[in-house]
Amino acid sequence: MSTLVIKNLHASVKGKEILKGVNLELKEGETLALLGPNGHGKSTLLAAIMGNPAFDVTEGEIYIDGVDVLALTPDLRSKAGLFLAMQYPAEIPGLNSADFLKASMNAHREKPLTLFQFYKALQDAYGALGIPFEMSKRNLNEGFSGGEKKRNEILQMKLLAPKFAMLDEIDSGLDVDAMVTVADEIKREQERGAGFLVISHYARLYNMISPTRAAVLVNGRIAVEGGPELVERIDKEGYEWIKRELGISVEKEVDGSMNSVSIGACGTKVKINDKK
Amino acid sequence: MIRNKVKENEKTVLYVDEIPNGAHFHVASGESLKINLACFANSLDGRVDVDVDEDGTFEGALADFSDRSGKFVLNVNLNGKGAKCNWHLASLTGGESKKVFETSVFHEVAETEALMSNYGIARDSGKLTFSGTSHIKNGAKKANTRQEAKIIVFDDTSDGKALPILKIDENDVSASHAAIVGRLNEQHLFYLESRGISEEDAKRIISLGYLKPIEDYFDDEDTLKLIDKAIEGGI
Repeated sequence: MSTLVIKNLHASVKGKEILKGVNLELKEGETLALLGPNGHGKSTLLAAIMGNPAFDVTEGEIYIDGVDVLALTPDLRSKAGLFLAMQYPAEIPGLNSADFLKASMNAHREKPLTLFQFYKALQDAYGALGIPFEMSKRNLNEGFSGGEKKRNEILQMKLLAPKFAMLDEIDSGLDVDAMVTVADEIKREQERGAGFLVISHYARLYNMISPTRAAVLVNGRIAVEGGPELVERIDKEGYEWIKRELGISVEKEVDGSMNSVSIGACGTKVKINDKK
Repeated sequence: MIRNKVKENEKTVLYVDEIPNGAHFHVASGESLKINLACFANSLDGRVDVDVDEDGTFEGALADFSDRSGKFVLNVNLNGKGAKCNWHLASLTGGESKKVFETSVFHEVAETEALMSNYGIARDSGKLTFSGTSHIKNGAKKANTRQEAKIIVFDDTSDGKALPILKIDENDVSASHAAIVGRLNEQHLFYLESRGISEEDAKRIISLGYLKPIEDYFDDEDTLKLIDKAIEGGI
């Protein structure tokens, strides 16, 4: 059984430190609910584990069964068994979904899939997620609704069968029916033995996928770890009690202000026949 | 490989490695015209003018893989109510070439529609410019116009410019443009890499996405094969 080990992880964005020493372990077969107030580093943790270049890991270690994950490029992390279902999946112009799925599935295999094997797997996966097969002909995430993008992430998880799947707010944008479908698929992967690291703001998803453990990320560190009862408590009481009981002051939400942007002149109104 | 071919059937006018200089087409009322231009080895210097009458449709596509410098000009005049223009361009600009594509559309009357879609990749000291004007004139109510100009600049030696201009002299119209010039998007690369695809393959896949869709607008099988070869061999 594989174990994902995170030791003293520090990560920053544009020079601002977000993670300030995260320690966490996850075994295959476990499902960990990752909780915490907004802006305290949940998404950053997942992105740093996957190797998103927008985040700089400044200190710490990540291992899967002794393999130094931080030394690997994101494609090799994927091959080592990590998967990240993203909160905002990229829309890539001109890239056909089926071509993309084939490239990623084949990247995980010694011998490429035959056309028959590929289409069989694809049809099964689209069917299981309740996505019309026609969508496989569309460009990757381009013009997909929020819910379609999220289902498409879970579809990829199913096709790549990772050891550890990290889900970043996979339930936002899903209606109730879609959430049931997605939760069913997560349950199937749990039965297969995959480990899960799940961020959600809603108890509904957690109730459906029954986390085995929970951890609360506050101020860039894991403040509390515990069993599934932690999910329930936070759903009812919020994060105030952490401050009270553990003597941790919950810092204000990290400033999420945008970089300054400038919008150039898009339209010009010109009067014709007005020359003097 | 230099091929000069002008093939005409009832639907599509095809030019392969012979960009017309000063060709003028007239799409009569209710008719449609399709022009396919492909450039592999020759210069793309040339100019095409198209006049479209009431309910006429002009569909044009240019696939350019030449390593020679040049300037291509397209002017489409939508002269009749309901006239439509659909333009697609894909250019791979490398080998120290300098290319300018100036694609303009003039909405002369009401209820005319146009899409000008230009995609390109600049690399190996290539300089690529997309310019052109979408002009909605007085009286062209309910005109609908869109310009897309997207360029990936592959390396420090290359340069891309997108200069779309919308001129609007009428109210009650719909006009939009999208202009993107830049390096390969880091987050796009990360998305593909996080699925196990190597950085090199990810770059290739994203670049293909800029060029490959042009094949949808070509009819001639032989030309399609040449385009496919140019894309596969070029990236």
